[in-house]
Amino acid sequence: MTLLQSIKNYVRSKSIHVSYVDVGSCNGCDIEVLACLAPRYDIEQYGIYVHNNPREADILLVIGAYTPGWEEKLEMVWNKIPEPKVAIAIGNCPISGCLFNRPHTYIDPPVSKHIPIAASVPGCPPRPTEILNAVLSLAPVVFKDYEVKKR
Amino acid sequence: MSAVIYEKDLTAMKYAILVSGRHDRVVREIAADLQVGVQQLRRYIIRHFDMMLMENIPARYEAGKKDDSLMEPVARELGMELYTRYIPLFGKKQIEPVIDEVEMLVAEGKPEEEAIRIGKAMLGEVLSR
Amino acid sequence: MKKTVDVSIPLGPIHPCFKEPARVKCETKGEFVTGAEVELGYMKKGIERIMKGRPWQEVMFLAERVCGICSVIHNMVFIEALEKMSGIEVPERAALLRVVVNELDRMQSHTLANFSYCYTIEHETLGMYLLDMREKVMDLLELITGARVTCAYIVPGGVRFDLREEDRESLLASLDAIETDVRRYMGMFEGGSLIGLRSRDIGILSKEAALEAHAVGPTARASGMPEIDRRLQHPTYQKLQFTPVSRDGCDNFSRIMIRFDELLQSIELIRRCSALLPEGPVRGGGIPGAGEIVYCGEAPRGELTYFIKTDDAGRILDISIQTPSIMNIEACCHYMLKDAASIADVPSTFVSADPCIACTER
Ligand code: SF4
Repeated sequence: MTLLQSIKNYVRSKSIHVSYVDVGSCNGCDIEVLACLAPRYDIEQYGIYVHNNPREADILLVIGAYTPGWEEKLEMVWNKIPEPKVAIAIGNCPISGCLFNRPHTYIDPPVSKHIPIAASVPGCPPRPTEILNAVLSLAPVVFKDYEVKKR
Repeated sequence: MSAVIYEKDLTAMKYAILVSGRHDRVVREIAADLQVGVQQLRRYIIRHFDMMLMENIPARYEAGKKDDSLMEPVARELGMELYTRYIPLFGKKQIEPVIDEVEMLVAEGKPEEEAIRIGKAMLGEVLSR
Repeated sequence: MKKTVDVSIPLGPIHPCFKEPARVKCETKGEFVTGAEVELGYMKKGIERIMKGRPWQEVMFLAERVCGICSVIHNMVFIEALEKMSGIEVPERAALLRVVVNELDRMQSHTLANFSYCYTIEHETLGMYLLDMREKVMDLLELITGARVTCAYIVPGGVRFDLREEDRESLLASLDAIETDVRRYMGMFEGGSLIGLRSRDIGILSKEAALEAHAVGPTARASGMPEIDRRLQHPTYQKLQFTPVSRDGCDNFSRIMIRFDELLQSIELIRRCSALLPEGPVRGGGIPGAGEIVYCGEAPRGELTYFIKTDDAGRILDISIQTPSIMNIEACCHYMLKDAASIADVPSTFVSADPCIACTER
């Protein structure tokens, strides 16, 4: 590993930009992601910055069960995120459709059919600490030696 | 690519709103009131209303039914307030000639109920145009 | 409606200020906003369609997931509708505990709404304070019900768990701390001159417009309509001598302040409940049967109505839900946003009505 690469690894593990997209949830997971911002969990002390701009994001949190309104749009959002990138599914909804996945529904889960999902945090809704834990443990693994892996 | 993001065809989504329980009932009620086909009214609403207004149709319809501030009997029976302010199906310009016509019919000695029915049918005409 | 305008500026579906996907299309003349349209369809799950033909035991949990922010009230209204329909009695203690949980839920929802507003007008400090306070309320909710969100605490004929004596004491102690916080943040919001510049006389919703769009909840109460509060019709609240608050500023500022007012009011209500709390069972039991009912309750955002029809086995034959956000967002985008002086005011005005897209579309 070159020196440059190790510097890159270090920097990437300390500055993670997170964006979230709600593709048809009940809002329960939404507010749990928001609760991560609270001073009690203080997501920014780990160098994670939550905002809602896919163009600057490293990690995309996907919440919800993929409603027809997001057809093509979710892929578009995913394509706009610069490499290296990774998507995490938050809650039961993107994994299985939770309890909305019944006859006559409009939704079309799982989300992994539409964009690649690297990890999922089950729960209805998961606790903020679990979300935080998932982001923190996934980021260094995925972003490590990105340039080497690409070659 | 941006073409898709910015102008997506919303007809299917709008239709999904209109056929859900309460909305369907209200739309059928209005259609029966104005003597137009349900599908015709749906098409008109889909073309002219935005999605938020469509979601709010039942609540607005109820609020409009309760409102009795308008005193003129003919205009009230025709739903002047209801169909222009609460559920903006028509503009003021479209409904005023109809009111005049109905008032004229009543003055000519037609029974009020029948005159109003004719008036409603005329309003229905406007929708199907 | 199809119109030709100068420039149509779309905000969303992904926007740094909106927590949920919705598209607000603003028609502008220069900076001046002449009107707005909202485009939905990003959250349509078809819950009402799923609910049809299912037993109430299942629909209970679906009802809770209509909206994750105010899940307790959905639970409460659905269960109370079933109870009223089939004549199930609720023990006194359980009825009061329901009010306690409901008011806690209202508190966390109002704090979240005020946080979003502060965040949108870029007053991040106050926003973070509020979010921290919300965590304290969530702790209390977890203490009583066992879960933070979607707790399914209310069941036909009572509630799931009793409130232990030591928990009641810690509840009251935390409420004291929260009340001090609320008063402090209220003073900060009221006195902040920059906050005043961003919120006073912006996003006016006159009383006539509120009546026309059938606005409900804090949005309507900030336009001087206290009688809109459905808690006045609820028997337990009547016993607690509940009186609604209202303000008549009609602008963003009043809408936020009225939520602060209601926070204090909720704290007071919980205290009264806990003083009245009698000994006794919390679960009476009872099985919902056939019937048809229209039942209203006051959600944090306003009047929530369930239209339910069931058969003998308690299966839901027909259901429709009218959530408060439908009326409030409509009032917001067709009356408040009209004549906004600049595009920068659009997100904050939109957020001040406390929009919840998930329950708007269901
Ligand atoms: S997983 Fe549960 S809490 Fe999260 S969005 Fe889905 S239904 Fe709501």
